[in-house]
Amino acid sequence: MITSQQLIERIQKNVGVPWQSQQSDGFSDGILFGSPEATVTGIVTTWTPTLDVLRKAVSSAKNVVICRQAPSYSRGERAPVAWRNAPAPSKEMLDKDPVWQAKQDFISKNNLLIIRFCDNWDARRTDGQLRGLAKALGWEKFYLAQSAKDDYEPRNVYFRLPATSLNNLAEGIKKKLDIQGLRVIGKPDSSVTKVALTHGLLLVADAEQILREPGVDAIVTGDAVEWEAAPYFQDLVAAGKAKGLILLGDEASEEPGSGEVADWLKGFVTEVPIEWIPAGDPFWVLS
Amino acid sequence: MDSSWRSVLGAELENEMNEMKLSRRKFCQVAGRGLLVASPLVRALGQSPSTLTAREVVARIKKNVGVPWFTPTADDFKIGDPDAPITGITATFMSTLDVLQRSAAAGNNFVITHEPTFWSAADVVSDLREDPLYNYKLNFLEKNKMVVWRFHDHWHAHRPADGIFTGWNKAMGWESYASPGADPFSHEYVIPETSFEDLARDMQKKLNTHSMRLVGNPKLRVTKVAHAGHYIQQCMQVLPHVDVVLVFECREWEAAEYLRDAVASGQKKALIQLPHEGGEEAGMDECARWMKTFVTEVPIKFIPSGDPFWMPT
Repeated sequence: MITSQQLIERIQKNVGVPWQSQQSDGFSDGILFGSPEATVTGIVTTWTPTLDVLRKAVSSAKNVVICRQAPSYSRGERAPVAWRNAPAPSKEMLDKDPVWQAKQDFISKNNLLIIRFCDNWDARRTDGQLRGLAKALGWEKFYLAQSAKDDYEPRNVYFRLPATSLNNLAEGIKKKLDIQGLRVIGKPDSSVTKVALTHGLLLVADAEQILREPGVDAIVTGDAVEWEAAPYFQDLVAAGKAKGLILLGDEASEEPGSGEVADWLKGFVTEVPIEWIPAGDPFWVLS
Repeated sequence: MDSSWRSVLGAELENEMNEMKLSRRKFCQVAGRGLLVASPLVRALGQSPSTLTAREVVARIKKNVGVPWFTPTADDFKIGDPDAPITGITATFMSTLDVLQRSAAAGNNFVITHEPTFWSAADVVSDLREDPLYNYKLNFLEKNKMVVWRFHDHWHAHRPADGIFTGWNKAMGWESYASPGADPFSHEYVIPETSFEDLARDMQKKLNTHSMRLVGNPKLRVTKVAHAGHYIQQCMQVLPHVDVVLVFECREWEAAEYLRDAVASGQKKALIQLPHEGGEEAGMDECARWMKTFVTEVPIKFIPSGDPFWMPT
């Protein structure tokens, strides 16, 4: 038997970096919903606890959901302005909202525990999100490791792929990750081989840092602000300084990392079943 | 928009603007050195060049915009010499390098842009001095004696109606369907009933956009549609009144996840996430039409920056 508090203590013991405590607004790592004394029946890992993911957790008799995103559609007041998102909706606004009500009711009725695990996972020496994404793409063998010990260190994001066109690269990724909403900047027939792979939101400063490495043809990432890194890339292409930017979507770029979290947990939590349930690409597109 | 957020943005903007003024002064000194080359159009027609300056055009815009000029605002000169004579005006959604190249080729050295030139809300350039792309763009602007002025806040504030949405409504043919929403940036419409998929196809065609992303049942019958700006609170405000929420430049963990849960909880709702340009570019076509009513000395052209994205099959 293991309680949710014991689960968190075990995570803290194994994470390998000094634990950063939960913030008072609840937007960092820790229990967002549920009791520390509750007995864990099974663990689901996911990028974001959508209502659909929560239903799947309940139907497979798992009561703990470990996620990267908070369930209430926001990264909160503390989110850096660099994320270009809104402040969290007020409690008053959330309480009146029928969508949030439906989700909150489902969480309480089923005694679910929602645990956020993001900042401490990201503070580890290995970028678990990058490793998960590289595996999902089948790119491990193309990783340009700096040394034998380099296991996806956060700043080393480079891969040398067999030469292909930007269009073929984008089509291949779309198929491999089974996603719809993938968007591309650049000429479709440009030849690409050296690619930087990152996840989440790409800022201009990130792009500048990544492109200091010589010979990078394209960046594959999650999302970009459309008055920042997106036009930065349009301009790079117009100036002939880079060939392309592929945006997978936030979910698609971060979700495989939740698979890594599940695998990692299995190394020290053996009492209960652990399953990665991807939230999936939220979008569909016109054909 | 929530007032605390507005004040955060305001303070950020003010800081960035102060930094920007320093850099602008430096560039104006550089840009003012050369003599202006007459545009190909003026040369071809054999007319004497107009002496109209960018600053004079902006003064006329301020006179015609229908609201008192306010600060802080992003609407200001970003680069170039405002007092040099201009050869022609480009109105665009975003002054990308491509738009600047096409403006120069068309003989327009004054670019009026809705969105930033240097990839941040207030065109902060202090961190970009070593950036090769920044220097490339700067050199292009300088070599072509271009002036860039941003027209964002006041074009939205234009009265009797927000200029961006006036243009968007015209592009969609939705002028007669529009009714004002609760939020100044939200616009609600009642359109003839159709399916969600057909609405999306019609919008894609009329806005000439290729990277629309959708949440919801394609067969859903829809008639009430509203813009919900960029933020989750706006989505929450409009959702109860409408079938379809339109957003652009809204982070995916806000609108897309909210609508996905709305659909999963049984609500008959849908989301169209447009590229930012798809939501606002038509408003700068409108801006070009509007400026022609009070600027007649030089040619004025709308140059679309276009959807930045394409999607693989």
